[in-house]
Amino acid sequence: MATNTINLSPIHSTSSLRLLSSRSSQNAPTLSFYSHPRPSLTFPSISLNKSNKNPSKPRAFTTITSAHKNLTETELIAVPPLPDEVSGKFPSDAGVYAVYDNNEELQFIGISRDIAASVTVHLKSVPELCSAVKVGVVDEPDRAALTQAWKSWMEEHIKASGKIPPGNETGNITWVRQPPKKKPDLRLTPGRHVQLTVPLEELIDKLVKENKVVAFIKGSRSAPMCGFSQRVVGILEGEGVDYESIDVLDEEYNYGLRETLKKYSNWPTFPQIFVNGELVGGCDILTSMYEKGELAPLVKK
Amino acid sequence: MGVTKEQVESSLKSKMNPSHLEVIDTSGGCGASFAIEIVSEQFEGKRLLERHRLVNGALAEEMKEIHALSIKKALTPEQWKQQQEPEKSNTAA
Repeated sequence: MATNTINLSPIHSTSSLRLLSSRSSQNAPTLSFYSHPRPSLTFPSISLNKSNKNPSKPRAFTTITSAHKNLTETELIAVPPLPDEVSGKFPSDAGVYAVYDNNEELQFIGISRDIAASVTVHLKSVPELCSAVKVGVVDEPDRAALTQAWKSWMEEHIKASGKIPPGNETGNITWVRQPPKKKPDLRLTPGRHVQLTVPLEELIDKLVKENKVVAFIKGSRSAPMCGFSQRVVGILEGEGVDYESIDVLDEEYNYGLRETLKKYSNWPTFPQIFVNGELVGGCDILTSMYEKGELAPLVKK
Repeated sequence: MGVTKEQVESSLKSKMNPSHLEVIDTSGGCGASFAIEIVSEQFEGKRLLERHRLVNGALAEEMKEIHALSIKKALTPEQWKQQQEPEKSNTAA
């Protein structure tokens, strides 16, 4: 990964590194701060702490990491019981933070653009694991500096304890909110060139009955092509509804869908939203139900 | 092409017998987009979907030319009265 080589390369001077890292940040976002590599591959042989203590041999990351202390030197701050009180005790700055449970076992090391906000999120999602937190604010928190700070704490902890914080293990999703994966739009047919063995009506019927919530929209759910479809997608996503979407404008995989669906549902326009196999309505009806609070009970299981 | 506001109004008047009707041309002149507020006794006891179906049915001919029909309100006279009263008291105050 590009970031690793850039961050750890000892040949750059500080200024050129800054320049380089800010420019390269566009190319580097594939490095997830949270996804922890396997221990055998984890860290290069450069000892970060040693270089920190050795100012006569300035290395690129020396200045970057000097803004925060070592993990062991950093004071534990107790997490208040209520999420609302977190912002009073933790800085809303960028930096690295380490979360401890009530046995003072390190659970997770993360980085954040707003430490107080991140701690609040953790406290809400896993209160039993958030007893105290160590915070290292990083000055000039560009991506490289934050990554470096995270690495130095991780390395320190692994060196001392011989293990990775459980929350940073590969595959652990306790601490990291998974990026909301947009479902792909459903396709009704295998393609325009493939002769259908069943009528399109039957495919529609099967689809709306097998899926709790189905939205027939113009365009894809990630890029709706009409304002009404956009509003429908917005409402469904906003309500956190698990729904399927079908692009009625897709002439390759949903050829003929518009005309067939209009007849099937006896409804002249799109979008169309089906719940439990029944047409609920279009954008106006969905909006009106949403505003009256009638939508959530209908679409939730 | 397109449909005029008057055409939409007359179709709805003749088929829905509305006690209140407001048709707004939202197309910016091309006649392909309308917003409607309609109050009719025919909506009594019907779900919103069925009410919209009635309106869509009444405009079946026009719908061929209309791209977007936004039914803002489809109310029974009773519901309409209820909605009007708070507004009136507001303006009075």
